Amino acid sequence: MGSEKVNGAIGQTSKDKELLVLSNVSLSISGLEILKDISLVVGEGETVGIIGPNGSGKTTLFNCLSGFHLASKGSLSFRGENITSLKPSDRARRGIGRVFQSPGIFREMTVLENMVTAIEGRYPLFRTFVPWANIHSSIKGEAMSLLREVTLESKALHKAASLSGGQLRLLEIVRALGFGAELLLLDEPTAGVSPKMKEQVSTLIERLRSMGKTIIAIEHDIEFIQLFCERIVVLDSGRVVMDGSPSEIRKSSQLQEIYFGGAREPRV
Amino acid sequence: MDYLYHLGVLFCIYVILAQGFNLVFGIAGLFNLAHVATYAIGAYTTALLAVELEVGFFQCIIASSLMAGLLALIIGGISLRLATDYFAIGSLAFSAVVSALLINWRSLTRGVLGIPGIPRPELLGIDFNQLSNFLWLSAIITLLALSSFWLICNSSFARSLKALAQSEHAAQTLGRDVARYRTWAFFISSLYAGLAGALFSYYLNYVDPSSFSLAEMVLVLTIVVVGRPGSFLGVCLSTFVLVVLLPEGLRFVPLEASVLGPLRQFLNALLLLVLIFINRARLFPTQRAV
Amino acid sequence: MEILPQLLVNALIAGSIYAIASSGLSLAYGLLRILNFAHGHLMMVGAYLFYATRILLDASLTVAGIVTALGMTVIGALVMWFFVRPFSKFSPLLTFVSTLALGAMLEASVSMLFGVNVHSISRGIDFESYEIWGVFITPIQIVIVVSTLLILGLLAAVIHRTSVGRTIRALSENQYAAQCLGVDYERYTAVVFCVGILLAAYAGVLVGLETNIQPTMGNSYTIKAFAAMVLGGLGNLWGTVLGSYLLGLVENLSIGLDFGGYSLPAGYKDAFAFVIILLVLLFKPEGLFRRRSRRV
Repeated sequence: MGSEKVNGAIGQTSKDKELLVLSNVSLSISGLEILKDISLVVGEGETVGIIGPNGSGKTTLFNCLSGFHLASKGSLSFRGENITSLKPSDRARRGIGRVFQSPGIFREMTVLENMVTAIEGRYPLFRTFVPWANIHSSIKGEAMSLLREVTLESKALHKAASLSGGQLRLLEIVRALGFGAELLLLDEPTAGVSPKMKEQVSTLIERLRSMGKTIIAIEHDIEFIQLFCERIVVLDSGRVVMDGSPSEIRKSSQLQEIYFGGAREPRV
Repeated sequence: MDYLYHLGVLFCIYVILAQGFNLVFGIAGLFNLAHVATYAIGAYTTALLAVELEVGFFQCIIASSLMAGLLALIIGGISLRLATDYFAIGSLAFSAVVSALLINWRSLTRGVLGIPGIPRPELLGIDFNQLSNFLWLSAIITLLALSSFWLICNSSFARSLKALAQSEHAAQTLGRDVARYRTWAFFISSLYAGLAGALFSYYLNYVDPSSFSLAEMVLVLTIVVVGRPGSFLGVCLSTFVLVVLLPEGLRFVPLEASVLGPLRQFLNALLLLVLIFINRARLFPTQRAV
Repeated sequence: MEILPQLLVNALIAGSIYAIASSGLSLAYGLLRILNFAHGHLMMVGAYLFYATRILLDASLTVAGIVTALGMTVIGALVMWFFVRPFSKFSPLLTFVSTLALGAMLEASVSMLFGVNVHSISRGIDFESYEIWGVFITPIQIVIVVSTLLILGLLAAVIHRTSVGRTIRALSENQYAAQCLGVDYERYTAVVFCVGILLAAYAGVLVGLETNIQPTMGNSYTIKAFAAMVLGGLGNLWGTVLGSYLLGLVENLSIGLDFGGYSLPAGYKDAFAFVIILLVLLFKPEGLFRRRSRRV
């Protein structure tokens, strides 16, 4: 099936400044091609939702962006710099933050320590190594003010393992901010989150947008995703099959076909 | 000529031992470091039965296999439930317990002195003290063992084990009881190790703990990895190369015996390393999730 | 029971050596999720490096110590590059095989270079024992106990008080999340692995000073370090340290105490570590000191 070009050419963006550019990225893992020739341009400050059936390569795409898998073909650039072969840590240092599907919180640490680990990572080691270094008071201050934004400051000294699913999400998002993420990759930010907390998560995402952060979010809940996404990319079997505004995507008949069957090639 | 017979018998012993390990490691994907320990149990069972109780050849062979299998079953039942890391440690500990017992249970095993004077059998009026005759006997037993092993390799049992090795969860959903399949694999492989041990005892007329060291385990591991884990013919071939050809080649190296032994051990381990390096993407495929 | 205080001190000495040896193993496991089957062999190599410089080249204690430390750092890095890294991302089973091969290669190399016989490295060491409250202890044993406490204290301070420690804890809990916070996984694992090897080498030298060295000593120390780690829970550093002292205690009490007709011959001392592993794996595979499951 050919891809339905809803919004002009695939990859075109409404914003003027390009932040992330994927050109013809393919990825194979042990002989299996999981991502196929993906081209995508994400502008600065844009909020993009990624949807697609299970196994369509959404999380693999994120792993490819954060560097856990290196693209087998094609190239990636971030803020005009070629990052195709950079390590995950170097990509993170350039501003690509990640929130994992199953929370990547360090549960044996306190909430505050989680924040401190992220914030102090921005500084050279010799400035942060000893606990009595001057910088620690400002790091702690920054950590607390970020925690306050998500009303977790009362939990600062608790083990992160004691947080609820929603609180873990909030913490992981502000932790990524603490490290200085400009682009946030959110992998199903509302999975395992109670309805009440879901609201808080979406408020936080709204705040991130107003701060000018760029967001790419994987989400199953299409109603939820269109609340804050101005653009939706549909993946199927490792390909970008649609790319456009939520209303355009919803109108398309192809989406029905992808999710509810019809004659189609088997998924990977 | 005697030296050729000697190599022939060695090949028989090691091919049975290695094929046993091939089942548990190559096919079932279990890193069982206790394989040589079950081999030792087989060897000592025969030694004790034949020397102390003067039990006959076939009874000894069967008893050795069963003894090795049963002990492996006890340990296997415990440690097979554990994850890979723990299983490897558990099997290593088991092999260490066995060698500690061989060395220290002097009233039974005579410790480091070993058990000498294991009589070669006399069957149907054939005297197996003659090396050529013993080679024939070993060859027949090996042929039987290998053909039964070949059948196992090509059975649905082996296919299920392979499936389990690649994805425990997937195979479980197909209705395979993981623990039961692995216990059987463990048991059967130990039967072969016990059999090899019995032959070893009869051949050498003598057993002592030094024959069952970790270096021996590395040799068996090397044989299976060189022959490609899971491959029946490959393991036969690599046994030939590593047990017959390599020591044969080293005989012409002008070095003292005290250096030659470690050198052989070094080369085996190096070969093992090089091979797993070359095949690292193909050996033990497991799914990884980020 | 006048023998009891002496047994406790002996247990403390043995436990100290195990603690140094196994903490390196546990650190490496925590970060890399690999079991280093050559850990004891690397200990043995450290002891032989010390032997070569101290005895064969007649260097001073300080010089021999520095050479051993530098040499082991290089060896640790080489092991990381050639035996761990090429394999660890494919399957843990591969690293089991590669480190097992490494152990065999190290033992064979040392046997070829130095022979299989026992050597002593304790030249110029005072073996006169002091008697304190009826307990005999040599200066080197005091060094073992005290230096172990210092090293463990330093380790605790680094891990629980510094930014590097936070990073290490973060990595051992979730390496992917840590990498997304800019942590260079490769650099940290290499450094931690080398620190583990250095600790192993130090333990090897201590064993050598206390008794003597032999190429075959590696394997039994590998298993003992594993025993301590299994007791404490895999990757649980402080559990492993406690497990080490517990192992020393069990070994010494089981052999030393008089159980009448059921006393065990000294040869079984080593077997205890192995039996302990099996028992713990049977009844409490998560270790004795694990508070709660960490895995999600």
